[in-house]
Amino acid sequence: MEIILCATRGGEESISAQYKAIELAKERGARLIFLNVADSSFLDRSAAAIVVDIQEELSKMGEFFLMMAVERAKACGLEAEAVIRAGVFRAELIQATKDLGASMIVLGKPGGGASRLELAGFDAFKEKLGQETGVEVVSL
Amino acid sequence: MAALIATFIFVLVFVAISFHLLHETAAALLGAVAVFLVTYIGGSFVPDLHILSFDDAMTFVDWNVIFLILGMMIFMAVLAETNIFKWMAFQLYRLSKGNTWRLVAGLLLLTAVGSAFLNDVTVVLLLVPLSIQISVAIGIHPFVLVIPEVLISNIGGAATLIGNPPSTIVGSHIGVSFTEYLVNMAPIAVICMLAAMIVNRIQYRKEYKRSAKDVSPVLVEALASDSRIKNRSTLYKALAIAALTFAGFFVADFFDGMPPGVVALSGAVLLVAWVRPEMHKMLREVDWTTLLFFIGLFIVVGGMEKTGAIEWLATRVAIIAGESVKRAALLTTWVAGIASGIVANIPFTVAALPVADFLTETIPQAAESGIIYWGLILGADLGGNATILGSAPNIVALGLLGQAGFRLTFGRFLRDALPVTITTMVLASIWLLIRY
Repeated sequence: MEIILCATRGGEESISAQYKAIELAKERGARLIFLNVADSSFLDRSAAAIVVDIQEELSKMGEFFLMMAVERAKACGLEAEAVIRAGVFRAELIQATKDLGASMIVLGKPGGGASRLELAGFDAFKEKLGQETGVEVVSL
Repeated sequence: MAALIATFIFVLVFVAISFHLLHETAAALLGAVAVFLVTYIGGSFVPDLHILSFDDAMTFVDWNVIFLILGMMIFMAVLAETNIFKWMAFQLYRLSKGNTWRLVAGLLLLTAVGSAFLNDVTVVLLLVPLSIQISVAIGIHPFVLVIPEVLISNIGGAATLIGNPPSTIVGSHIGVSFTEYLVNMAPIAVICMLAAMIVNRIQYRKEYKRSAKDVSPVLVEALASDSRIKNRSTLYKALAIAALTFAGFFVADFFDGMPPGVVALSGAVLLVAWVRPEMHKMLREVDWTTLLFFIGLFIVVGGMEKTGAIEWLATRVAIIAGESVKRAALLTTWVAGIASGIVANIPFTVAALPVADFLTETIPQAAESGIIYWGLILGADLGGNATILGSAPNIVALGLLGQAGFRLTFGRFLRDALPVTITTMVLASIWLLIRY
């Protein structure tokens, strides 16, 4: 059975991507898996005192967003699954695609306020992702 | 010659930290190493290159600050494991009974109190992820909860000697007791907090009305299960020792002026001895990068101080300030405020301290009230609210929002934070003029 992997978070772009992934999964009769990556690399340059397990905090937040995504799929009549991983987003997305044997990746494009440079960066990332995983990458 | 090189090293470190070109700790330590290498290698060929010896450098490190931060980190590490902050935040959500403003006010109060008595970044790291989830569950934009929380954490941190790094650095430098600091700064911090809440109430009034009254029971259950108290026994022990430690902060003056660093470390060690956490794990949880960052920074600024570079700068500032203590205090507050909004407020505060010393010594009446130091604290703490780069809690919140899929731009933060920053800075200026 074909597997669609939807990398998601909690923002508006992610919600649009979730609905697109649900639609594609229903059309193709595919298995839908929502993926969230708890990536704490944003703290890498700060000397602020971090005494909490930030990966755990991010994972809990990710689980919450995944649960909402699964609820949305259910409301659309589709049983979806959820996977959470910890690490650097790009590397984890590639690895998850390989581990799960996904044939399509659905991503939300950076929305409101994203600069041209960021959008260009996203397009380059999408292209590279397609090359490295060998699967179709859909974004909106 | 040595003064110029010391200044050049500081500027490089400052730029690297402020614009995140390098990890903050790496930048500070590189600066410290550069000071030593120029002193020992350069100085052995050209004596004029002697900036700061290793022995002298150790005298510039404020060990009270280091031990105070270390002690509070141990407290936070133990308390964070009990989930107490999330439990309190979720109770506030329940008690708000669908009233968004009541929820926001409760969360802001919790953030302010937490940031005043514990590390502000840790409070943000614990409360912001839950606040994002709550806001998504009740259908309001996370910025409406998170931006005020971050602003309040910086304001609340100004209330006590242990709240924000600039407060700790300046408070320790002038040798003020916990109580003395509280008496001087807590009233204005509370005034600023209330003012910030009023500004936020006006700014987000439409969003508050938009919130959903019916929240999915599944989501509420998920929030509840993530917000349960863990390890009650540890929590009770930690609360008991925390009460003892805070009592210690208040009475330390009666014991030959015991420094707050000693009180914090004593409390932390007592807690560790009683709770008996796994010591290796505990020590891993202490963020040594923060402590090394401060040590490196004190050495770099020490180099500038030792070579006379800071005195040169302070003399120029004193000329602008003139003989008026109030003008000097306002100048210090606003320069610190504007600078802290643009560049990192910790290195700025460390570098500004010797200038504040000079102004206090040379301007009549400044020494009696310490007004210039209070102005520096208020400027650095409140000014850090202006931009997303101004202080560590802002940067951490930006990352957490990004992780949740909500992109907080520099412009959006500025738009929401600037009214609060200007209001609180004006209030702080009025406070300084009236109080001192």
